[in-house]
Amino acid sequence: MSVLGERQWRFLFCVASRVVPETRDLGEVERAAFRAIVEEALGERPASLQRQFRLFLGVVRWLPALRYLAPLDRLNDARQDAVLTALQDFPVALVRKGFWGLKSLVFMGFYGRNEAGDRIGYRPSARGNEKLRTAS
Amino acid sequence: MREKEFDVVIVGSGAGGGAVAAELGPLAATGARVAVLEWGPKVREQEFTGRELEMANRLYFDRGGVLTRDMSMTMAFGKGYGGSTVVYTGTSLTIPPQVVTRWNVPGLEAEDVLARSEKYLRQNNVHLLEEPLLNDNNRLFREGCRRLGWTVEQFPINVKGCLGAGLCNLGCPNAAKQGTNRVQLPAAERQGVQVVTNCKVERIEESACVVTVRNESFGEPSGWEPGEYRVKAKAIVVAAGAVNSPALLLRSRLPVELPALGCYFTAHPALILVAQHERPITNYSGHPKSFYCDQFAHSKRFLLETCMYFPFTTAKSLAGFGADHSRLMSGMDRLQMILALALDDSRAENRVTIDAAGNAVVDYRLSEPVLDALHEAMKASARIFFAAGAARVHAPAGSNFLIEASERHRIDELIPRSGVKPGKVSIVAAHLMGGCRMGTGRGDSVTDSWGRVHGVPGLYVADASLFPACAEINPYVTIMALADRVAEGVRNDLSAPPASRRAE
Repeated sequence: MSVLGERQWRFLFCVASRVVPETRDLGEVERAAFRAIVEEALGERPASLQRQFRLFLGVVRWLPALRYLAPLDRLNDARQDAVLTALQDFPVALVRKGFWGLKSLVFMGFYGRNEAGDRIGYRPSARGNEKLRTAS
Repeated sequence: MREKEFDVVIVGSGAGGGAVAAELGPLAATGARVAVLEWGPKVREQEFTGRELEMANRLYFDRGGVLTRDMSMTMAFGKGYGGSTVVYTGTSLTIPPQVVTRWNVPGLEAEDVLARSEKYLRQNNVHLLEEPLLNDNNRLFREGCRRLGWTVEQFPINVKGCLGAGLCNLGCPNAAKQGTNRVQLPAAERQGVQVVTNCKVERIEESACVVTVRNESFGEPSGWEPGEYRVKAKAIVVAAGAVNSPALLLRSRLPVELPALGCYFTAHPALILVAQHERPITNYSGHPKSFYCDQFAHSKRFLLETCMYFPFTTAKSLAGFGADHSRLMSGMDRLQMILALALDDSRAENRVTIDAAGNAVVDYRLSEPVLDALHEAMKASARIFFAAGAARVHAPAGSNFLIEASERHRIDELIPRSGVKPGKVSIVAAHLMGGCRMGTGRGDSVTDSWGRVHGVPGLYVADASLFPACAEINPYVTIMALADRVAEGVRNDLSAPPASRRAE
């Protein structure tokens, strides 16, 4: 069973598009791979942590309403970034840690895909010393 | 519940368990029944793919991201045949004698630890990598340190036939790293020691372990049928690592009060720091960890080491997000990396406990001295990066996402101490130590200097959990040296007549 419902997934993809802007360009297959990675990682964590994560997603979505009278996903890009930056530097450590967990999941989904490395210049080889010799 | 019987059972197959297994090999060769019970599987050679998430899942607990209770730090430790020796980089340092002296464990002499360490340096083919095999990431660190006038030393490493895959932390795909999975465990098995994988020790009872065998979807199946077993043994050596050893003893309801059990956990909390060069450098090819700088070990309590990580690990180590983050990540072949490790004090309140289900929970508070050390380390690393010619540096505590080379003279101002906030700054640990510390009595220690658990004859500990305080270096050689002592003690105790066996 999925740890997140469809509405939560839509919101997570909204946050992901601010954390790693390239997630907006993912095709259907890549998006499914992203989702499978995040789903698997969340699924392995204890039920209590899964609950905390769902709760935190709700906080991230609705906290901006206190100031902007709208949830995060209804704000423009600049305001979304401002809210996420504020969460990263939030005075309460628990909120900062929650945001770190959220963005780490996004990084895992994006950079953990097997095909991600090639696009960012990361092409390891089992025979790396041969590359070293070529480079020198 | 099925029953098995052995003379000696070793729990765990990493640096500690592997060393004990090899040392007890001759005993097995003469007929003693010795078994190693390893929680994780034996990963097949073809399963070492070098793919980050796949290998993290196969080789680490919680994919290398075990959280402390307060979620301020993630801890990486290995699981499977060879334990963490499958996933370390193989850097092989002997402990500074003054650290052993400071540990102040009666009966434990620095000379003895060093002599035993030397044995493992030889056994594991430890040597310095030749100059042509050092990549730019490592050479730039050395150059930067030298330009600053700071000491820089080369790490001896334990490889044989290294092809420079640069994937040490994901398990060497070329079987070059000389971990216990390559050296001590096969040697032990050749002498008759039985290594049982996929076998979790649930608890220890009087002269027995209660275990569950459950196969994974990868790796070789266990030699034992899945199910529950009661495994009797005259001697039980716990070598499950600094998190799982104390947790196992805690859920075993030992017949003695050991108030120090689980306490004094240390971790060398660390930062992965990154700088960008204008042009590609060689970084992910070649051995990832060749140099270290201990210039500030005493004065500011941190060490700096070269390192090179993988895309996801790198991404989560950076503070920030969005376009700046993506731009930095978009050229991994231009990144130089440094691992900064704080030398943390041992504090009773930093401890391993267990939850209601018996799972390990680590309470670790990042103290002000640790955060101070990480702050100083961040600034020192920035200076090394710039001295090595980096165009820009990412300091997780920085007031800006990047510090440009033109701003290099403002490092103190641009990396404020106030920016070192747990949660914002990604703090990791892979040198996990303490929890079953050696000492003299039950009041403030768990074992004596030979790893014998106080008041429980036949029960021993043989891993990094024995460390009374942090090692101040990469710990695996010291773990093996201490395990070597424990094995000697086990041999002596087993050969003594039962009436004379030590019981406190």
